[in-house]
Amino acid sequence: MSSTTNRSAARRAYGRYAVRRLAQAVAVVLLAYVFTFLVISVLPGDPVSNVLRDPQNNFSEQEIARIVAYYGLDQPIWVQLVEALSRFVVGDLGVSLRSNLPVSGLLADVLPSTLRLAGAALAVALVLAFAIAFGVRNLPAPLARPLRAFPSLFLSVPNFLIGLVLIQWFSFQLGLFLVIDAESLLATFFAAVALGIPVSAQIAEVLIANLDHEARQEYAAVARSRGLGRARLFTAHLLKPSSLPVVTVVALTVGELLGGSLITETIFGRNGVGNLVQRSVATQDLPVLQAVVALAAVVFVVVNLVADLVYPLLDPRVRLDASPARTKEVSA
Amino acid sequence: MTIPRSPRRLRAGRAATATAGLLATLMVAAGCSAGGTQSQAGGEPQEGGDLVFLIDSLGPTWVPNNSSISSFQGHIWGHLTDKLVYVDENGTVSPWVAESWDQNEDATQFTLKLKDGVTFSDGSPVDAAAVVANLDIWARGDVERGINPIGLFPKTYVSAEALDDLTVQVDFVAPTLGFIPTLGYHGSILISPETLAAPAEEQADLANDIGSGPFVVESWTEGDEVVLKKRDDYDWAPEALDHDGPAYLDTLTYKVVAEPSVRTAAVQSGQAQVAYNPSPQELEFYGEQGFTVAAPRYLGFVNGYAINTQVAPFDDVRVRQALQVGIDRDEILSTVYTDDWLPAASFIQSNVPGATDHSDALVHDPEAAAALLDEAGWVEGSDGVRTKDGQRLSFTLHPNPYLATSQAVDELVAQQLAELGFDVDIQAYDVITFGERVSFANPSIPTYEVTRSFIDAGTVAGVLTDAENGENWFNVGQSDPTLTELAQDVATATTTEERDPVLDELQGYVLDRAYFVPLTQIAQRLYLQSPDVQGVTYNGVAYANYYTAWLAE
Amino acid sequence: MTLTSISTGGEAAPPPAPATAAGGGPQRRGTRLGPSRARGILARLRPSVLLSFAVVAVVLAWSVAPTLFTSYDPAVGVTADFFQPPSAAHWFGTDHLGRDVYARVVHGTASSVTSALVAVAIGLLVGGFVGLVAGFVGGLVDVVLARFVDVLLAIPSFLLAVVVVSALGFETINAAIATGVSAVAVFARVMRAEVLRTRSSVFVEAAAVLGANRWQVLTRHVLPNASRSVLQLAVLQFGLSILVIAGLAFLGYGDPPPASDWGLLISVGKDYPLAPWLVYAPAIVTVATVLSVNRISRWLRTTD
Repeated sequence: MSSTTNRSAARRAYGRYAVRRLAQAVAVVLLAYVFTFLVISVLPGDPVSNVLRDPQNNFSEQEIARIVAYYGLDQPIWVQLVEALSRFVVGDLGVSLRSNLPVSGLLADVLPSTLRLAGAALAVALVLAFAIAFGVRNLPAPLARPLRAFPSLFLSVPNFLIGLVLIQWFSFQLGLFLVIDAESLLATFFAAVALGIPVSAQIAEVLIANLDHEARQEYAAVARSRGLGRARLFTAHLLKPSSLPVVTVVALTVGELLGGSLITETIFGRNGVGNLVQRSVATQDLPVLQAVVALAAVVFVVVNLVADLVYPLLDPRVRLDASPARTKEVSA
Repeated sequence: MTIPRSPRRLRAGRAATATAGLLATLMVAAGCSAGGTQSQAGGEPQEGGDLVFLIDSLGPTWVPNNSSISSFQGHIWGHLTDKLVYVDENGTVSPWVAESWDQNEDATQFTLKLKDGVTFSDGSPVDAAAVVANLDIWARGDVERGINPIGLFPKTYVSAEALDDLTVQVDFVAPTLGFIPTLGYHGSILISPETLAAPAEEQADLANDIGSGPFVVESWTEGDEVVLKKRDDYDWAPEALDHDGPAYLDTLTYKVVAEPSVRTAAVQSGQAQVAYNPSPQELEFYGEQGFTVAAPRYLGFVNGYAINTQVAPFDDVRVRQALQVGIDRDEILSTVYTDDWLPAASFIQSNVPGATDHSDALVHDPEAAAALLDEAGWVEGSDGVRTKDGQRLSFTLHPNPYLATSQAVDELVAQQLAELGFDVDIQAYDVITFGERVSFANPSIPTYEVTRSFIDAGTVAGVLTDAENGENWFNVGQSDPTLTELAQDVATATTTEERDPVLDELQGYVLDRAYFVPLTQIAQRLYLQSPDVQGVTYNGVAYANYYTAWLAE
Repeated sequence: MTLTSISTGGEAAPPPAPATAAGGGPQRRGTRLGPSRARGILARLRPSVLLSFAVVAVVLAWSVAPTLFTSYDPAVGVTADFFQPPSAAHWFGTDHLGRDVYARVVHGTASSVTSALVAVAIGLLVGGFVGLVAGFVGGLVDVVLARFVDVLLAIPSFLLAVVVVSALGFETINAAIATGVSAVAVFARVMRAEVLRTRSSVFVEAAAVLGANRWQVLTRHVLPNASRSVLQLAVLQFGLSILVIAGLAFLGYGDPPPASDWGLLISVGKDYPLAPWLVYAPAIVTVATVLSVNRISRWLRTTD
């Protein structure tokens, strides 16, 4: 391990591995784009003719057919797919069929709002998860035991219900924030709470399980026998090794945050990616949906890649545990 | 965007509300039964103020011709743009940008005289050339550039010509009595010729769409909000509105809040002034709390079922007639709606010029309905459902997704008809699926629930039969000579005096044959308003106009 | 060959998602205890597990024989009695057409349970099959299937469900199918991991050496051993599916009334803020059910 040749060989192997991972990531994103296209194309109909068929519009079928042809929607599916894909690989996301506006502009409009929400929700989730974990290990048993049930409870409540209740109490009853000013600090905070609660449950579960596990380790017993207090043992010894796996869980919950934002944004009236998806789904606006799915896939793949690469650096034990599989793969 | 109030001011506002409560409730009652225009009893108009209007959606695209003017976007277009004529809630046509008009004897040629000095917000004149450009794009669109025609513009249009700066002559291949009223319809909005010449992608940016209305776009975000500010040099409002010069309000913000309950609660807690489409059952409660409730009617068909006469069991006129008298319309009004809704008296709304009262034909009479079904040979079985030759007396209703109350109404109708021995199934679809699967004269669709506005009763002629590409709502084709002839006579009439008696006869005939089974008069656009909002007017298609509105202290 | 296939699974996303959701890989390590200790935990937790089973039993009874539990018709109400708050006559109050909400919840149970079962069945069958084939056949097949699963995993599951349901049409059965599709990846991962683990275990290798053919190895050794974790995941997914389907209904992607699916009841009820029981009654039933199912899933894990 310590010899120079060994290290450079390992570095070369790691380089090859990284390149392969990257290629796979790109493939996953492209396939997600194609997958969305195929799924949406299952259903006959398209956003253009759907709008025209609104009975108030009074269009004849011939008129509708002419307009649909303008958007190229009368082409065979595979022609449309090849066209969309060749645009996508050069970074052109196309034009929204619903709004006639460029998809990239639409995404740029809504992305900041969702990033703020997801970021705040993650923060809420982490704080909540660590608070619960702390309580479970440090509070007296009559309080700690019910606290253990919290993650499970959080995972059993539909998140729209949390949102509805929060709005009802904190906006309409207490007047703490205005629903029409969805981007204000407090409005964002409460939306983040609604979105973060189910996510906190997943983090808390892993955290509590790890804490329980670490607490049974020899070193913890030794520390206890030396007369270390509960809280001190928690912060000084148990917390760090137990929180490392949280990195991986957080990476996996990124998708959850994006998915959950669909509901949270609708309830809190935030104009974010989830809301854009809602509008686009209702009208089958394929270019927008494809772009959003691809974006979500990019985020997921990147975050997990980073978590995956960073994790071994944080926890030396994991490198020892996990490396055999990797070493095998690299040397194969 | 300016955020209206702090919570503290809000509470003060509520105290004032309480005292004004009774008065406001009375005002609502008076205002709505009169057809939607609210009493102006709120004192002197106040200058300034910002009004926030919470809306379900901002629709799809802002390309003017392609936008869903019939639903949400019409609110914004109505403030950004003007029309050639104004049509009030009684269908009365009055001058606006067109000062006067003439027609030839057979209603195939019209001459419009335009008001002088009207300008678009970019300073260019609204002259004859601009009007011709608009008429052309309404009638034909420009499909190569991705611009649709306006679906309801008369298909008989030939051409328009500028005779001088302020005179436009318009020609049609056939009598088109509906042309002038159509100019007041929500689709016929005047847009600057420069905008009309731009490609669809540019027109899709609302900020590029130049109109001549009392407001201009200050800012907008796709799918989220549109902020309008008043135009200081506006001075060509329709006379019918009783207000000259610029609007009172400084800004008008349309903000999307998708949840209906959040919209109403936001108005209740003083966070916004107007909530669109509150649920009808809540209106009474909010009315009692002192909020203003408006349920203006549009001009158009009533809410009801167009019956497919080729589909069993409705291929028998007696079954259709049993349906006609078997539905308890009063129970629908008292359960699903409030007093702001009116019973149907025909299959067109009673405020449409030419609509006549046929409520005798629509009286609830379960005995008569049962007798008709007995006579038609439908016998009640042990499970309460009638059968004939082994067939059950059943059919499916498809609630209209464009009308929020449609499902509740259909559920109630199913409940009522069950007592007569019908087995009614309800299959509701979302807007997309509804468009795909539910259509008129479709062999698998026994009833089509109609919600459609129009501005001229002549529209009726185009839906009854399949003559002249008619929509054939009842799937009778041209097999009913009486219906075909009446439709023909309505279509070719050259004056309303000539047309009205035919329309009356037509309404009686359609209801008697139970081709159309009306439910209630429709109020598709509902508004819940803070009592501070005064002076709102509603046009013939039930859009609230805040040009005349102001905020009381 | 074998080595490559192990690595493709191992590197795509470090620990399998379901295991994390269910409490994480490390926890499994932690709960694998001596038999006596496990029995002790069981004894301590019995009341909540019993309660959970009781709740699930009631729910199942509602779905099988709703008429035993309520005399009201869920579809026909007395219109004059609309919007009555909960009372002795109407436990959960009445809705906008005077229908008894308790009756609607009870009668809606079958639909809610069936939708969730459909979702789990799709995830279990499709995902289980994909995972089984990937793990058992290995090689190129594994590589291709692993990419497919990666794609499904990379799309947030709720977003995936929304996209799928929008393509199929907005009905509850389609929402159930969409929920099932979004769970395919999770099942595939767990199944594959279990198959690989069992396959490389000593007794399976021994069986192969003793001349058992692939089919016998599969049915006698691999499947029974893999089924336990998959079953536990299925129970967990059942609860999750109820929530996802309710979420889809909330966004308007379920069957509209008069169907009285729980999610739809909540979704329709939210439009009447003046009658909060329309939301709370079905919501509490939903939460209680999901909580119980989760509890049972956890109990299954600790007893393995």
